[in-house]
Amino acid sequence: MTDHDNRNGHTETPRSDHFASKSKMAPNNSITKTPDKLKQSLADLGRYRDKQTFALLYDFFAPRLKSHLMSKGAHGEMAEELVQETMLSVWKNCKSYDPDKSAASTWIFRIARNLWIDRLRKEKSNLLSPLDNYPESSFVPAMKEFDSAKIKSALKSLPQQQAQLVYKVYYEGKSHREISEDMDMPLGSVKSGLRLAFTKLRNQMGEV
Amino acid sequence: MTTHHPDLSTLMSYSAGSLPDAIATVVAAHLSLCDHCSCHVQEAEQIGISLLEQLEPTPMSAGAKDDILSMLGETTQAAEPAKPEPHVPDDADVPSPLRHLLGHYLDDLHWKTMAPGLKQFILPAAESNLRLLKIAPGTCMPSHGHTGSELTLVLRGSYSDELGRFCAGDVADLDPDIQHQPVADTHEGCICLIATDAPLRFNGLVPRLLQPFFQL
Ligand SMILES: [Zn+2]
Repeated sequence: MTDHDNRNGHTETPRSDHFASKSKMAPNNSITKTPDKLKQSLADLGRYRDKQTFALLYDFFAPRLKSHLMSKGAHGEMAEELVQETMLSVWKNCKSYDPDKSAASTWIFRIARNLWIDRLRKEKSNLLSPLDNYPESSFVPAMKEFDSAKIKSALKSLPQQQAQLVYKVYYEGKSHREISEDMDMPLGSVKSGLRLAFTKLRNQMGEV
Repeated sequence: MTTHHPDLSTLMSYSAGSLPDAIATVVAAHLSLCDHCSCHVQEAEQIGISLLEQLEPTPMSAGAKDDILSMLGETTQAAEPAKPEPHVPDDADVPSPLRHLLGHYLDDLHWKTMAPGLKQFILPAAESNLRLLKIAPGTCMPSHGHTGSELTLVLRGSYSDELGRFCAGDVADLDPDIQHQPVADTHEGCICLIATDAPLRFNGLVPRLLQPFFQL
């Protein structure tokens, strides 16, 4: 793909000290993971079901998923459980991964998101809900390669309050009403702030 | 032809998995009909992924990786649960996220009369309020405001209020400061799927008497 994609890769490099002790894979193999390589690995996993490939994906995604789930409020142990469930689901379902439809991280984080929502429902025991809020989309968009670096710099350029709103939605998993209580802002302002932020971010994403 | 969509802030929160369950259901039902919004959701997911990539990885505990690697063999052997695609009749009018719960046809539901011209069906499944409302032609809903988010998807017929005309597929994504009084304005009446994450706020005495019927 574009060389932007390749440049993005090394910002995602795992801290090697986290991995040094338990990594079974060849040294240095973990250092650069571009979105394209991840995509290729996940597609390969579906095709060849090779444990080595799985281990590579695990090393990259598990610690990120764990951070993600913890920021949403899962304590360490639950976060790990959900990471394991997510990665097991990746192993079981990777045959249905379509690299033309989504990036590897998008696909995997969707699985994690859905498991997290299921877990929240189960905790409120009266809510064994058969609602299917995240069906596999039949919608196939014209696959646009987004430039992650551009989104990142666009995020940095947001006014502080808008950036905070965006973080609360994505990192903390807060609803609009919870954010309005947290930040002592009217609900309408929460929504308009997010709307403005989204518009700015997607304008930047669209620029070539 | 859809002309009213969920707010971008709502689509963003949907993609992040941060909406209250009931509201997410209404969004999912709209997305099954609207490529325009599905596209925005994909963009919002990209934003989310970029943010997640910025999180510092947290190391998994020792042994977690070996645990999972040892489980892979077992899962390969276990036959993958076949997911038979359930047959959906062409004329099914229950939105796809609700079909597990409600079956295929809105007319088969056990509607409860709340007031003349007004029937509802409360869905037992969600953390916040999720209901179907059936408004007879010409019927006026009581004027009301909201203390929280409300998302309404028109499933059949249409209604009009201060904000415009809402037809099948349209979503009204209301800010809490909006007061409105919907009127079903076609001959077939109007069926809506409504999610709130806080009680409706009715004005005036008569609507307040209606409140118990809404089970709020
Ligand atoms: Zn739409």
